[in-house]
Amino acid sequence: MYGWIWRHLPGNAWVRALISLVLVLAVVFVLFQYVFPWAEPLLPFNDVTVDEGSGATR
Amino acid sequence: MRSPWRAGPERSRPRPEAVLRLAVRTFSELCLTVGTVILLFVAYVLWWTGVTADRAMDAELAGLHERWERTAPAPPAPQAGAPPQAVRHPAGRAFAEMFVPRFGAGWRKPVLEGTDPDTLKRGLGHYRGTAAPGGTGNFAVAGHRRTHGDPFKDFPRLRPGDQVILKDPAGTYTYTVRTGPVRTLPTDVAVLDPVPVKSGFTGPGRYLTLTTCDPEWGHSHRLIVWAELAETRPARQASP
Repeated sequence: MYGWIWRHLPGNAWVRALISLVLVLAVVFVLFQYVFPWAEPLLPFNDVTVDEGSGATR
Repeated sequence: MRSPWRAGPERSRPRPEAVLRLAVRTFSELCLTVGTVILLFVAYVLWWTGVTADRAMDAELAGLHERWERTAPAPPAPQAGAPPQAVRHPAGRAFAEMFVPRFGAGWRKPVLEGTDPDTLKRGLGHYRGTAAPGGTGNFAVAGHRRTHGDPFKDFPRLRPGDQVILKDPAGTYTYTVRTGPVRTLPTDVAVLDPVPVKSGFTGPGRYLTLTTCDPEWGHSHRLIVWAELAETRPARQASP
């Protein structure tokens, strides 16, 4: 998988390393900005209120 | 890499090994990737939500103080008889500041209207429909115990006699903890009643309720603390 990506990146080893770094940072950014905020309410730490059922804070 | 199953019969000898190697390598790469993502998620929950929440709470406090200074002459503090219930704040808007000396001298958090998850990421949440600061009834507030800045991390250390101080443009309200922390079920909405049955309060009064989750990292129960208004200090009247 990663070998396949590496072989398909353009340029020499340095350019590829640089592009890889940018790709990794982009993935981390997307995870922190979009994926994790979506997944986090599925964990129980948000339930701090009393309410009918467990609705108001999920 | 060529597809292994398209190989001719004369090349079939090394193929099973190559397939196996590819499969094992891909599988281990996937495992490493999933593990890394899980570690990143842990870092997000434990650390990054705190960073963003602290930043958001500081911004809420700064905005609150700025708004208070702009609208200089504060309305008089609610005295006995005057129902302060009338003020309605828009959802998600900070309207008061809370201090709990037990949580540390530097502990000061904004209180926002409503208890939605998005609101609780930016401060403590005031249950909609409960009393106003210093008002008759029950001023009820929820806060995160863990993640999002851990505002109520030391909740179990609260004891009867501890102070909970609320500040808004009208004045400063000092509540004294009377009961708790008490463990209850998430569905026990009676803890927010104007006169909560389990609190030990017997008649109408000016009460305050704090709620958070219990156990620390779980959500099966809630921890509750009840306090009673001990002192109201009206804000210094600005000269006209």
